[in-house]
Amino acid sequence: MAKERSIPAPMSSPETEPFWAAARQGKFLIKTCTSCGKAHWYPRACCPHCMSETTEWVESPGRGTIYSVSVMKRAPEVYAIAYVTLEEGPTMMTNIVECDFDKVAIGDKVQLTWRPTQDDGPPYPVFKPA
Amino acid sequence: MAHAAEAIAAGKCSVALITLAGRPRSEGHSGATPRIRGADAPDTQWEFPLGVATVNAYAMVAARHMHQFGTTSEQLAWVKVAASHHAQYNEHAMLRDVVTVEQVVGSPLIATPLHRLDCCVVSDGGGALVVVSPEIARSLKRPLVKVMGAGESMKGQMGGNVDLTYSAGVRSGPAAFAEAGVKPSDIKYASIYDSFTITVVVQLEDLGFCEKGQGGRFVADGNLISGVGRLPFNTDGGGLCNNHPANRGGITKVIEAVRQLRGEAHPKVQVPNCDIALAHGTGGLLGSRHGGATLIMERE
Ligand SMILES: [Zn+2]
Repeated sequence: MAKERSIPAPMSSPETEPFWAAARQGKFLIKTCTSCGKAHWYPRACCPHCMSETTEWVESPGRGTIYSVSVMKRAPEVYAIAYVTLEEGPTMMTNIVECDFDKVAIGDKVQLTWRPTQDDGPPYPVFKPA
Repeated sequence: MAHAAEAIAAGKCSVALITLAGRPRSEGHSGATPRIRGADAPDTQWEFPLGVATVNAYAMVAARHMHQFGTTSEQLAWVKVAASHHAQYNEHAMLRDVVTVEQVVGSPLIATPLHRLDCCVVSDGGGALVVVSPEIARSLKRPLVKVMGAGESMKGQMGGNVDLTYSAGVRSGPAAFAEAGVKPSDIKYASIYDSFTITVVVQLEDLGFCEKGQGGRFVADGNLISGVGRLPFNTDGGGLCNNHPANRGGITKVIEAVRQLRGEAHPKVQVPNCDIALAHGTGGLLGSRHGGATLIMERE
């Protein structure tokens, strides 16, 4: 395998602290709204679909489909940036790892995995071929 | 422009100056380098660690457009070819050589599916606009150009309802056309922000110059070349060939549209009888979040 790009640690906020704490336990949390029933991404205190404050964290198995993907060639380490649509509905920006950069494509089924981040930051959610 | 016109119409001022300048080339910027856009923005922790540069954010838009509508790299390349045809007459343009579709698709891939020649230049530069009241305009002995209509909008990732096939232009465009009381077929010349070839294709669709998904076919075969196609665009060479001051293209788009309306564009690219022109810009990233602004102007 070629050397992978090192991921900077994410800044967190009070709103997202539970996400990163769970990530350190290997759990992938998303936010859903008990008012309109829809999940959203990225996690917020208020539902972006209906503005309700009744959102709750739920654990997701992290299964999804690539909505779009681009392989960055002009970089020290080639990497793939993508949008993945989760089974729960929302589409999230992510990286695709452990894949053949010449073959990775829209419509591919993918599975969540984690990558360590710099400076002892929390693991970051990325996806690999399912 | 729209804000200046509104302030003048409201009597808050009679002359407004709008400026833009920046030196990204001297400062070593590259559209391939990830950079933090607002460390305190809530989106940043979900984007920056992933290596979002400028080019790969737009490349995801291009990849989706190709997948969903069958758009090809060759069709995108026609946007650059048209810009290069115009830039050859602009002695200030960074890139003055006319290029072919084969040269664009044969240039190195930067972020798939975008090639080096699908990307705009990184340049230093600047520009300024002066907007004045009708009374002052008439005293200036210069050709009169009037704001007919304008629109502004924003688009983000919609809480996860991501749809990369359209831009904020779907709202700013119709707002501008409604205020101006004209339709896309009335536009004789269009300045369209061109950070990448795909940027132009998506925005042309959103502004109503063709159906959604048909932008690739619309720009092909020289349809954007002045004197050749149906919609002459970016006759200064645009961001793809001329300049891209401060990593932005809005002000240069308005400047060239005004030149066209005044009949002061280069004779080789001047649109005959150019009475109504449009300028449209995008700020931010089509692939994540951005603002869009549309301006329609007429020669009096
Ligand atoms: Zn809701």
